[in-house]
Amino acid sequence: MLTITRRPGERIMIGDDIVIEIVEVAGTTVRVGITAPRSRLIYREELWERVKQENEEAARADPNRIEGLAPPGERRTKRGKDAGRPE
Amino acid sequence: MEHTVNSTRFGTIEVPEEAMIDFPAGLIGVGGRRFALLTREQSGAFKWLQDAEQDDLALPVTDPFAFFPDYEVCLSDDEAERIGIEDPAEADVLVIVRAAEALEEFSVNLLAPILISRRVGHQVINESPAPLRAPLLSGLAEKAS
Repeated sequence: MLTITRRPGERIMIGDDIVIEIVEVAGTTVRVGITAPRSRLIYREELWERVKQENEEAARADPNRIEGLAPPGERRTKRGKDAGRPE
Repeated sequence: MEHTVNSTRFGTIEVPEEAMIDFPAGLIGVGGRRFALLTREQSGAFKWLQDAEQDDLALPVTDPFAFFPDYEVCLSDDEAERIGIEDPAEADVLVIVRAAEALEEFSVNLLAPILISRRVGHQVINESPAPLRAPLLSGLAEKAS
């Protein structure tokens, strides 16, 4: 792993189009700003890891466990008009 | 036009064009760029996202609103812009199912739902607080109580 020492306000370039900026250092916390093309997905590692593991577990599903299960009785095929909107 | 998709679970299947979904960024951590959304049973609660290239990659999915009537998906502005869906209500929403021995132990990933619009899908992080592993039947139990 490449290790680089930087101070707040300084930046690191990854290629020509990804910029990592050290915004603030306070105690054990570092605030990092990232500018990258929209196609580059950026996640906190622990969140990415949890979702990845959950996807992998889901991908182990056995169809026999799942087929034959009907949807719940009060199934709604249309979403409420406010679905997805913040409060 | 039909697409032939090979699946270790389901064998060789013919999938109509409208059931083929592109995932430009794949599913988080597991990849896949093109999936067939398989409806194995018209009356079933679950569908499958079968990867078009990797025969053994398939994930069960369901309509979250059938089980969690109050579920909502919120996107950050950056995320909405990236995927070109401003309002999640415009998209079809699916959540990935984690199957278990008994239906009571099934869970769904409400934290990272899949949004599909115009046959392009994205797994996104829900900005509205939602569990990674919500017991499938908990939303209905809550509503009934």
